[in-house]
Amino acid sequence: MAELLFEIPGVESGRAFGLILILGIFILGIYYMRRGKLPYIRRVAAIDAISEAVGRSTEMGKPVLCSYGTGGFGYAVIAAMSILGHVARTCAETDTRLLVPTGGSHTSYLTRELAIDIVKGQYTAAGKPEMYNEDDMPFLSGEQYSFTAGYIGMLVRDRPGAVIMTGGHSSEAMNIAEMSNLVGALTITSGTYVSNMAALACASDYIMLVDEQPAAGAYLSKDPEQLATIRVVDIYKVLSLLLIVVGLLVLNTTGNDFIRRLLAS
Amino acid sequence: MSWFFKSKQVNLAILVASFMIGFVPYFIKVPQVNEFANTLTNISSVVGQFTIVIAIYSQYRRSLRFIRERRKGWVYNIYLLTFMSLMILIGFTWGEHNATYMWLVNSIVAPCSSVVYGILAFYMFSAGARAFRARSLKASLLIVAGVIVLLYQAPLTGSVIPGIEPYAVFLTGTVGMSLSRMFAIAIITGAIMLNVRMLTGRELAFLGFAREEES
Repeated sequence: MAELLFEIPGVESGRAFGLILILGIFILGIYYMRRGKLPYIRRVAAIDAISEAVGRSTEMGKPVLCSYGTGGFGYAVIAAMSILGHVARTCAETDTRLLVPTGGSHTSYLTRELAIDIVKGQYTAAGKPEMYNEDDMPFLSGEQYSFTAGYIGMLVRDRPGAVIMTGGHSSEAMNIAEMSNLVGALTITSGTYVSNMAALACASDYIMLVDEQPAAGAYLSKDPEQLATIRVVDIYKVLSLLLIVVGLLVLNTTGNDFIRRLLAS
Repeated sequence: MSWFFKSKQVNLAILVASFMIGFVPYFIKVPQVNEFANTLTNISSVVGQFTIVIAIYSQYRRSLRFIRERRKGWVYNIYLLTFMSLMILIGFTWGEHNATYMWLVNSIVAPCSSVVYGILAFYMFSAGARAFRARSLKASLLIVAGVIVLLYQAPLTGSVIPGIEPYAVFLTGTVGMSLSRMFAIAIITGAIMLNVRMLTGRELAFLGFAREEES
């Protein structure tokens, strides 16, 4: 590990610069939210395709299948819950049956309860609480591949018109996305597991890449305050790239490891 | 009382408090908070285990309905219920290290999981075949890079084709690695920003609040 550039008393060693960066994100985020000035936001095809996917299923008289990942409460599952809420609301408004397979890991029991609450809440908010059916949100298994087999079983039996697979899925994502293609469903996925992204991009009709999924909630809400925060992510991405490029140039030309020590701090 | 726990303000207060208890000890040296955070994590893990009962109930209910209504594939639900009941019974009676329980895990669950995992290879192949069509310059470059890495990784061709190693190592170690690092940075930044929106009460859909309630 590189030598530290600085330390702050009372802060854990090697975490001071990280703390400054995170606090910076918080301050900038709140600043942009208060400002509420809408930045240019490019079209995210995968998120826009959600409405198209639900509409397609409605026209075909088929259900929509939406899953939020197999893990516990990570950022990916939380972001996926926002998407699930949006899908549930759209399904309720269009009288489309929504299937949500749950399970997949030992930490998925708790997230399942939240997903049920979200779907119920959206159906109630749309004035159709009777649409909720517990059997449409089955718990398949706490084991990854038993869950996968159950998921594939649902795809084959129910033949959904669209599959929206967001959140943290690991290697099972590929089995599901390919089977979804085989049953003729419009497949929307999200790549949060870096090793999975390339394979999922091949298997899906639309894919949310990198920070598109965490931003999905803000994008779908169309709320200027939330959308404004997306600019902060861009600022930090540029800053990170600059730090890496400048650090490499300076280190290789002058031998000065200032930026490496700064990042190690 | 339920109105209290369903109110947006109470949910947000719990969220902020939980965040602080998890966030502060990671960065700041406060042993008391660290201890409290560990205790809280243990309590939430124990409470979380109760949801297993609800999940198992859901599985029984759904499977029994499948069997009763003779839905497509109902026979498999008989297998499922039989083995699930058997494992619960043996697990609760003799513990998870019991020989019969271990046999069920090692001889039924593990091989079946391996089969599902093994099928992945064929799915990768079919998805790859669909994607690898040289329709544009970018797609052509992807194919060339893909073929180089594929030939190098395959045990037979990797050792036979001379001079392929430096190109494949450059593609995976430099191009692939730098891009995956860039992805990781963007994902983490996006996740932190998601946290900011959550903690300031802007994005609460994940707590079950519908659109009107959020605003």
